[in-house]
Amino acid sequence: MKQFAVVAPADLASATRMLAEPNRSALAGGVDLLDMLKQELAAPAELVNLKALGGLDRIESVPGGVLRIGPLVTLNQLAAAPAVRERHPALADSAAQAATPQVRNLATVGGNLAQRPRCWYFRNPDIVCLKKGGTKCYAVAGLNRYHAILGGGPSFIVHPSNLAPALIACDASLALNGPDGERKIAVGDFFTSPKVDPRRENVLKPGEIIAAIEVPAPPTGARSAYLEAREKQSFDWPLAAAVAILALNRAGEVVHARIVMGAVAPIPWRAPSAEKILLGAKLDRALADRAAEAALAGAAPLAHNAYKIPIARAMVRRAILRAGGVADEPA
Amino acid sequence: MAASSSNGFRVIGTRPIRHDGVDKVTGRAKYGADYAFPGMLHGKVLRSPHPHANIKSIKIDKALALPGVKAIVTSADLPALPDKMEAAGEQAINLNHLSMNILARGKALYDGHPIAAVAATSPHIADEALRLIEVEYELLPPVMTVEDAMKPGATILLPSLRNKEDGPDKETNVAAHLQFKRGDVAEGFKQADYVIEREFKTAMVHQGYIEPHNAVGIYNADGHATIYCSTQGSFVVRALSAAVLGIAEGKIKVVPAEIGGGFGGKTTIYLEPLSVLLSQKTGHPVKLTMTRAEVLRATGPTSGSTIRCKMGATKDGKLVAAQCWLAYEAGAFPGSPVGAGAMTIVAPYNIPNILVDAYDVVVNRPKTAAYRAPGASNAAMASETVLDELAEKCGIDPLEMRLMNGSEEGTPQTVGPPFKRIGFKETVEAIKNSPHYKSKLTGANRGRGVASGFWFNVGLQSSATVNIHTDGTVSVVIGSVDIGGTRAAQAMIAAEVLGVDINDVRPTIADTDSIGHTDVTGGSRTCFATGWAVYEAAQDCVRQLKERAAKLWEKKPDEVVFENGMLSPAQPGGELKPMSIKQIASRLARTGGPIVGRATVNARGVGPAFATVCVDVEVDPDTGKTQILRATIAQDAGKAIHPSYVEGQMQGGMAQGLGWGLNEEYFYDDRGILRNTGLLDYRMPTCLDLPAIETAIVEVPTPGHPLGIRGVGEVSIVPPPAALANAIYHAVGVRMTELPMSPPRLLKAILKKRAAGEAQAAAAD
Repeated sequence: MKQFAVVAPADLASATRMLAEPNRSALAGGVDLLDMLKQELAAPAELVNLKALGGLDRIESVPGGVLRIGPLVTLNQLAAAPAVRERHPALADSAAQAATPQVRNLATVGGNLAQRPRCWYFRNPDIVCLKKGGTKCYAVAGLNRYHAILGGGPSFIVHPSNLAPALIACDASLALNGPDGERKIAVGDFFTSPKVDPRRENVLKPGEIIAAIEVPAPPTGARSAYLEAREKQSFDWPLAAAVAILALNRAGEVVHARIVMGAVAPIPWRAPSAEKILLGAKLDRALADRAAEAALAGAAPLAHNAYKIPIARAMVRRAILRAGGVADEPA
Repeated sequence: MAASSSNGFRVIGTRPIRHDGVDKVTGRAKYGADYAFPGMLHGKVLRSPHPHANIKSIKIDKALALPGVKAIVTSADLPALPDKMEAAGEQAINLNHLSMNILARGKALYDGHPIAAVAATSPHIADEALRLIEVEYELLPPVMTVEDAMKPGATILLPSLRNKEDGPDKETNVAAHLQFKRGDVAEGFKQADYVIEREFKTAMVHQGYIEPHNAVGIYNADGHATIYCSTQGSFVVRALSAAVLGIAEGKIKVVPAEIGGGFGGKTTIYLEPLSVLLSQKTGHPVKLTMTRAEVLRATGPTSGSTIRCKMGATKDGKLVAAQCWLAYEAGAFPGSPVGAGAMTIVAPYNIPNILVDAYDVVVNRPKTAAYRAPGASNAAMASETVLDELAEKCGIDPLEMRLMNGSEEGTPQTVGPPFKRIGFKETVEAIKNSPHYKSKLTGANRGRGVASGFWFNVGLQSSATVNIHTDGTVSVVIGSVDIGGTRAAQAMIAAEVLGVDINDVRPTIADTDSIGHTDVTGGSRTCFATGWAVYEAAQDCVRQLKERAAKLWEKKPDEVVFENGMLSPAQPGGELKPMSIKQIASRLARTGGPIVGRATVNARGVGPAFATVCVDVEVDPDTGKTQILRATIAQDAGKAIHPSYVEGQMQGGMAQGLGWGLNEEYFYDDRGILRNTGLLDYRMPTCLDLPAIETAIVEVPTPGHPLGIRGVGEVSIVPPPAALANAIYHAVGVRMTELPMSPPRLLKAILKKRAAGEAQAAAAD
């Protein structure tokens, strides 16, 4: 690890000014950043400690039913907050299933969205891959068991954020604060496809930080579910995750649908084709099957990760059935 | 607490608080990486990024010129050693191979193989210096599997390696072929009504000790050296380091630190000679500690393996023949535990006809080290699942099948001589009678599996000293490090013999200058052998105490009785009042001076260990994920000294075996580079992944041991992978033959079975 200094900004404006300087990193929970420092994948001269700023660790209800979540809210805080549990259970569950209790006590919502990928080629300090300015993605010809099955190329990482699929499904937006002021974007637009720029995972500009996460009130009658498949019971990244938010009318027809997958693509992967199949149709197991098929229809596995396709399909199907209140049946 | 135990013991069988407990939970206990000395330098190791390469040159000038860098060593700084098996301390070992694993000589043989070591004023400078060392490699094709290594014309790892079968002229990757034979398997299979034959593959796995390897070396100008390190055997570190460095054994002192897990992986050396060599070059103490990635890339693992197992039974369930073929990855140098695999694979059963062939094969992976019952879990995965299948064919309950065929006193072992009194069938009965096995398992995709395991255990040498202090308290000094409650168990044995309170006994683990030779903590031998030495040393104290009382009372020693910590005249009555140890302790000066009890043992008559386990699982047929619902282990402990630590060993070994079965796996890519070099990608179970493991201690005393102890440290890891495979079969109907049975692998098997079922249904239409 290289030497670095930790600096405490006085306010948000000075924090973003400090971060706009070259070779600075924002320090929040420090979970992923410390890993990056120890593996010498990042060697900033200064860490700008956002925890020095007050007020970024709260969840507030603002008029209109919007929840405003501070970027320093921890995953455990998010998972346990009554307002989140009641209005957005899928979001609460996505936080609750991440990592371990110890990590969830430290890791922040902002850090979860801005963390770097887990790819073992990217994490290896001896490998200069596409994401580090090199010329190739080593996963393509290498051991790609945990890599992308959708939207891959030229990099085949999967985005590691547990929260992002649920936030996208909730139609949440982010307030980004930088030296040029604040801008607001949909969470879905925050993430950058490697086709645009393989070296980054999001649109944050130098000096910019996530200042708030805003989650609008759910549509009337909407119900949500988050499911993830892991290799272990705990302390593991998902092999595939799925969020479904559905609203059904009295006839049992779907009037609102959001289907988003995690851990399958370099960005959180929304499945509009699945949503289209659901909308206007009466929800039953056959419909859920068709929607799940559609969600994975474009999957293009690499040599070692085709197994993820049926797993992702199962997660989508189950999330739809659970959100729609239809009993699943063992296959 | 000192609630008295059953069957005649006062301390043994109770559960006092361990003597090292407070230090460990308050962070005061000193582990290897905690040592610091004035002027200490920090060392780092440069490792090969290639799995197989000739080393053409190593240029260190630029690195040496970096300010703060004090010394750099390569294999050129180590003496050349004979390329043959030689005695080092108490074991026979190929010292050339050992030395070449410390620092590569001419060839890099695995991803992570040490090339050079640097000492600098800070670990960061040492790290920086590693990048400035220029190594020119000539890449060679990596040989990663036993199949590839055994092929005719395979790329050769060690040009000087020969085996007896192929003769002195043939280059080979097969270091040894062992064969064990009894009866006539061809005839045996003729008697069988059912024969099952399967091929198994198990992945290379790591012991997963949480504390990485470490060493501080201090070389003195007088030619003596001291090593502080975390190890399972300070005398092994001394002997092996001396051999590699070319220093006389007696000139090295090893001070064992507290140990944060070993499981067999800390029975050899990696950093220890480097710390001394760098200290010798710089005149400073030098400390080296590994990162997790270094631990996974270059220490430990146990062999991945390919095993073929064929067993035959008559209709009524009698096993009549077994034929097994085992090939184990040794890593870069010979020495896989395939011999143990071969000798354990069918050992729990009385089978008249057996033929077992075993191959020790070098591959471009780290040199394997011992791991808890080394080699036996791989083997049991094969034989215990084939046995489950046979039981099913015969329509016999799998536990009954084990009872019908189980080894007992007089059954010949795979190596020939018959077992003495063993407790195998008792472990099967204990599972049969457990609340778990008696409970009914219901629900879709759920299944129950059982399996058994055998481990030899060893005895070997131990020394112990027991001192009676002037206040009547007792100190016990041993050379075995504390893994899993060693201090507590040894103190309890002394307290039992001396009749004193457990809190009046203070156990100490001494360095190699302060206690007699004590072999490595391995083979589940410590409680058995060191415990025996402590028992005898305490008896030595009793003998001396009687002499002193006799002196005070002007009697003969045999006219004094010692019972429950009290000395009294053999003939009751008269003026003489019984004396406690405390009372006589203050009068030792007047009767001839201090009392020191001593004993050494080369313990024979070791009691083999058996365990039987039961596991309930639920499988998600859409994802291939297995959840363990309930797990129980029954194990023969001979005599449980501290039952909590016996249960801890049973649960710990079972947890490791379950991880081995479900998730753990070294991922090498096709270039031979290890890809999962951290514990996030090398998936070990944590307490969140497993249910509380239920235990049943079985006590069938080892004949000949004064307390009947049997080692308990290892056998618990043997049955779990097979029990899991059996449970998975009973849950979803697929017979798994590869470890780990992780979601990708299990899902593939489930989908294959489903497709076959659909094809069959279609054909029937």
